[in-house]
Amino acid sequence: MDLAKNKTTLLISGAILGLIAVILAATGNPGNMAFCIACFIRDSAGAVKLHTTATVQYFRPEIAGMLLGAFLIAVATKEYRSTAGSAPMVRFILGFIMMVGALVFLGCPLRMIIRMAAGDLNAYVGLVGFVAGIATGIVALKRGFSLGRSHETTSAAGAVLPIAWTFLFVLSLAVPALFALSESGPGSMHAPMILSLAGGLLFGIVAQRIRMCTIGGIRDLILTRNTDLFAILAGFFVIMLVGNIALDKFTVGFSGQPIAHAQHIWNFLGLYAVGFAGVLAGGCPLRQIILAGQGSSDAAVTFIGMFVGAAFCHNFGLASAAASAEAAGGPSTAGKVALIIAIAVTFVIGFMPKKK
Amino acid sequence: MRQKELRLITTFHTTADALACERACKEQGFSGRIIPVPRQLSAGCGLAWSCEPGKEEEFAEFLKEHGVEFDEMATILF
Repeated sequence: MDLAKNKTTLLISGAILGLIAVILAATGNPGNMAFCIACFIRDSAGAVKLHTTATVQYFRPEIAGMLLGAFLIAVATKEYRSTAGSAPMVRFILGFIMMVGALVFLGCPLRMIIRMAAGDLNAYVGLVGFVAGIATGIVALKRGFSLGRSHETTSAAGAVLPIAWTFLFVLSLAVPALFALSESGPGSMHAPMILSLAGGLLFGIVAQRIRMCTIGGIRDLILTRNTDLFAILAGFFVIMLVGNIALDKFTVGFSGQPIAHAQHIWNFLGLYAVGFAGVLAGGCPLRQIILAGQGSSDAAVTFIGMFVGAAFCHNFGLASAAASAEAAGGPSTAGKVALIIAIAVTFVIGFMPKKK
Repeated sequence: MRQKELRLITTFHTTADALACERACKEQGFSGRIIPVPRQLSAGCGLAWSCEPGKEEEFAEFLKEHGVEFDEMATILF
């Protein structure tokens, strides 16, 4: 079946992915988190002890599943292309910046949609920032910004990340004592491993086939008025909305939302950074995983940037705190400063005068 | 639903090249429009240029004159 045949199949595909997220949320993944790329990369960084925040350490099977799923389907459909060489260190920085922004907002763009579908109004504030960031990135593209082209490289290079990550995942099952595992907090909340892995695999396969990208969906809408990628996001949102209502997890408001804060300016700026940096890097955090799975070493470097960025965010206290009954939550002073620097660096990258 | 028709699709190595193509075409009155890369041509999610078929050589020459590097051209139903 061609999932990408037309807008209807794309909408249905998005709904299938939303269903995976609903099932994982219902079977143990944290509330309104369900399938958050940034959170899961952050948890995985904690599991291998790159950071030591005890509440967010778990080697998430979803990430391993997505990388492997995208890799296997790309090989099966002859879309696997090992490419590299497009400004890898700049991509590392952009990945790092995306993670700083996501952890100030408390979620990647996919979780933004999940939170929107649960009635979390803070996520709508984040959406405005996200769209503004994408628009800024488009201005940079129109002014000639480019990271340069990638080139075909040795076939094995593109397989390094999917295989290495799968090895780490198998190791986490075979010798769990080597890995950290949260006993409380978001890291301790997860669906059964086999369900998470299967969900991740299916997500990776479908997302690769339909080219899902939260940034691409909005970028194409602005640049070309094309709604193909946006239809996927709409399908994902609708099924999450239905799922949340059915599971009685739909609550409209700014406060009382799971793992969120109501510091509007920082919710705006957090996703502004993700949108802006993501346009320059050629895709959102989810898309980077899929591209890495189908052989792009450049996307793999962006992924490593996110992975290291997540560790830095927790080791240096940059990640926001969720609001609670006792505290308003939000970013620390260090987190605010880091985010402003991150946005400034993204402007330098995007608007640096080109060599003639 | 829009009827599909044969179009000459040009893909690029970078988004900047795609946008440079759009700029050059608009300035010179070369008809066509920017589109997301059709799925059958690439597993990427970049941009491509869609124009009337049968102008491959002329268009390749046009792009070369304007210093725009392209990846490939294909005539497909789009």
